[in-house]
Amino acid sequence: MKTIGGEGRPIEVLLVEDSPGDVRLTREALRDANGSIHLHVATDGVEAMAFLRREEAQIRAPRPDLILLDLNLPRMDGREVLAHIKADSSLKTIPTIILTTSEAEADIVQSYQLHANCYLIKPVQLDAFERLVKSINDFWLSKVTLLPPSQPR
Amino acid sequence: MATIRDISVRKEEGTHWAQKEGRLLLGDALPESEELYRMLLDGIQDHAIFMMDPSGRIASWNAGAERIKGYGADEIIGRNFSCFFSPEDVGRGRPEEVLRMTAANGRHEEQGMRVRKDGSRFLASFTLTALRDQAGSLRGFFEFSHDLSERKESEARYRGLLEAAPDAMVVVNQDGEIVLLNLQAERTFGYRRDELVGQQVRNIIPTGFAERLIADGTRTAAAALAQQIGTGIELSGRRRDGSEFPVEIMLSPLESPDGILVTAAIRDISVRKEAERHLARLEGRYRGLLEAAPDAMVLVNHSGEIVLVNAQAKKQFGYSPGDLLGQHVKKIIPEGFTERLIADVLQSADCAPTPQVRAGIELIGRHKDGSDFPIEIMLGPLKSTEGILLTVAIRDITTRKKAETLLLRTVQELNRSNEELEQFAYIASHDLQEPLRMVASYTQLLSKRYKGKLDSDADEFIAFAVDGANRMQRLIRDLLAYSRVGTKGKDFGNISSEEALEQATTNLRGAIEESGALVTHDPLPTVLADEGQLVQLFQNLVGNAIKYRNPGVPQIHISSAKSDGKSGETKWSFSVKDNGLGIESKYFEKIFGLFQRLHKREEFAGTGIGLAICKKIVERHGGSISVESQPGQGSTFRFALAGSKGKS
Repeated sequence: MKTIGGEGRPIEVLLVEDSPGDVRLTREALRDANGSIHLHVATDGVEAMAFLRREEAQIRAPRPDLILLDLNLPRMDGREVLAHIKADSSLKTIPTIILTTSEAEADIVQSYQLHANCYLIKPVQLDAFERLVKSINDFWLSKVTLLPPSQPR
Repeated sequence: MATIRDISVRKEEGTHWAQKEGRLLLGDALPESEELYRMLLDGIQDHAIFMMDPSGRIASWNAGAERIKGYGADEIIGRNFSCFFSPEDVGRGRPEEVLRMTAANGRHEEQGMRVRKDGSRFLASFTLTALRDQAGSLRGFFEFSHDLSERKESEARYRGLLEAAPDAMVVVNQDGEIVLLNLQAERTFGYRRDELVGQQVRNIIPTGFAERLIADGTRTAAAALAQQIGTGIELSGRRRDGSEFPVEIMLSPLESPDGILVTAAIRDISVRKEAERHLARLEGRYRGLLEAAPDAMVLVNHSGEIVLVNAQAKKQFGYSPGDLLGQHVKKIIPEGFTERLIADVLQSADCAPTPQVRAGIELIGRHKDGSDFPIEIMLGPLKSTEGILLTVAIRDITTRKKAETLLLRTVQELNRSNEELEQFAYIASHDLQEPLRMVASYTQLLSKRYKGKLDSDADEFIAFAVDGANRMQRLIRDLLAYSRVGTKGKDFGNISSEEALEQATTNLRGAIEESGALVTHDPLPTVLADEGQLVQLFQNLVGNAIKYRNPGVPQIHISSAKSDGKSGETKWSFSVKDNGLGIESKYFEKIFGLFQRLHKREEFAGTGIGLAICKKIVERHGGSISVESQPGQGSTFRFALAGSKGKS
C-alpha cells in the first residue's frame, strides 16, 4: 500500500460528520480499505474550522491530506465550511470531498461552485458504501499526487 | 245686361218707386238720367244697395241686394230692414240703434252678421248714410253693403292664405259667431261652409272656446286673448255627426272695423293624442320593466348626470330618488366611471350599426352611508328625445365576490395542501431514508461479520432484519420517485417518443437480455412531454411486461395512433402490448393505485408503485392510462399524450 509523504507517515483524513452511525461506518470502511489512515472527526462545521485552523484545544491538530465533508451539519453547515476552506489560501489546496445523502441538484451545483473537489452521494446499501469508500482511498489517497506536507502554508 | 232683362218684370214697381224717390231726393234736375241711375244700381251685383224711410222701411232694392240677401224687390219693399238682423240683434234693438247712430252722425259703417231670407247668416260690411232734405229734416237712409264672405278682390289674399293653411281656420267674432272658415274647417267638422257661417262656435267646439271670447269687463278681449296667443289650447271638437275629437286651438286676435275678431287655427290632434297615449302606455311599461329589473338601473346623460333611477338603485345605494336625480354618477360610483368611458359608449351609438354594450366592468359602488361595495356594471347607449343617454345596469356583486374570494382561497389552500402533501411525502421519505440507512447498514454489517459465528437463530433473526430493512428502503425509494413526479417534474418540451423508448429499453437492457424479450415498435411521434418522465413511463410499462411474463419469449410491441382532441389539438395514444400473464378485469382499476400488488412477494418482487407512477406521469401530461387484458392472453396498456405543437 502506497502512502503519502514518505515512509511510515499516516494519512491524515478529516471527516466532518454529525451522525455517529455514519462516522462509524466510514471508519470501518476506511479501515478495511487502508490500515494506515488516521481518521479525525469533527461533528459540526465550527469544530471542523477549529481543527483546520488549529485553534485552542486543536493547536496540535495535523494538516489533513483529505477532507470528507457532509453538507447538513449543526451550527455551521458543510456549505459554509467549504466556503471558508476554499477562501483560505492555506487550506484551499486540501482536496475536499462532499460526502452526503443529498441528491439535490442545488446542492451539487452549489458545492462545485464553491470549488468542492468532488461530490459523492452516500449509497444506501452497505456494500455499495464500502465500495465507494474503497474507491476514495484507491483514487484520492493512492493514485492522486497530492501536495507534499512540507509545502509552506 | 242680362240681369236687367231677367228682373225687369219685378222691377216695374221698384223702379217706379225708385224714380219717385230719386226725384224726391235729387229734385228735377236731371229727370232724363233716372233711367241711367236705375241701370247703374241694378248693374251693381256685388253690392246690395237700397233705401229706407226714417223708420227703416225698405223703399228701394237693387239686383245686388236681391242676390246677396235672397229677397225679391216685391217681397221686401215696405218691410223693415230689421229682418236682416238676427233675432238676438233685434232683441237687443240693434236695428234701431244703427239707424239712430246713422241719423246722429250722418254716416255709419259697420261689419256684422246679417241674415238672409233663408235664415243663413253671413258677415257683411255695410255703410248707412242719412238722407236729409234741404231743410235738414231726415227723409230716410241709404244702405250700401256687401257680403264680406265673398268679397273677392280685397279678400283674395286673405282667403288664399286661409285656404292654404294646413289647419282648420275659423274666424269668430266676439259674440261667438263664426264669421269665416276655410275648407279644412268644413272637412274637419263635416259641415258645409254656409251651414257654419253665422252659427255659434259652440256648435263645433262645445266648451272652452266661446268662454274665452267673452270679455269679463275688467279685461279687454284683446288682453284676455293675449294670454292665449301662440299657445295651443287643447279642447274637444264636435263634428256634425255628433262625434267628438281632440283639437288643439291657436288663437290670434284680428283687429277689424267691427271690433276684434278672433282667428282660430284648429288642429285635429286625435292621432297625436293616440300616439301620446301609446307613448304613455309604453313609458309605463318601460317604467315597469325598469322597476322590475333585478339590477339597479341608472340613466346618465353625456356629462355624467343621473336623469333616471329605479327603485333598485335607491335600495342599493341608500339614496331617495330626489337625492340622485341631477347628481353626477360619481356620487354612487366614485372611480372608474370616467368621461372617457361615457364618451366611448355614446360614440359607439353613433358609429356602430348595433350599439355596443359594455358588460362586466367591475367597479366600486359607494352607499349613502359611505360604505363601499363591489359592483359590476353594464353600459349601453339609449337614443332618447334628450339625446343619447347611457343606461347603466349596476349589480351588487358582494356575494359573488365573497364566493369568488372563498373559492380562490379554497383552491389556493387545496393547492398548498397538495403541495405540502407532496413535500411531506418527499421530505418524509427522504428523512426516513437516513435512519433506515443506519438500520440497513448495521444489520448488513452484523450479517457480514457475524454470520455463522453465532447460533442459527441469530443468523435467521439477522436475515429477517436485513430483508425488512431492504424492503423498506425500496418502498421509500419508490415513494420518493412517486412524489417526485409532481414535485420534481421538468417543463414539457418537444420530445421524440421513439428516443424515449430507446432510452427506456437501454435502461432495461439487463432484464431484456436475461429474459430474451423481443421489444418492437412502430415509428413513434414527437410529443410534448417531460423527457425523463416519458422514459420512466416506457421503462415501467416495458419493465412490467417483461416481469410478468409467461414461459417462452416475451414479445412487447409499442405503437401509436393519432386522434383529434376536443379543442382540435392533436393527441397521440400509445399502446404497449405484451404476451404476458394478463390481468383479470376486476383489477383493471386497482393496479394503478399506490402500493397495489396482485402477486405474492415470493412470486414477484416489487412495491406496487410502478403503475401508480405511470398514472401520475400520464395525468401530469393531461392524459389518462388504462389497460385491456385477459388472463393468459397478454395485456395492452394504453395512454394518451398531447402532440407537439406545429407538428403532426
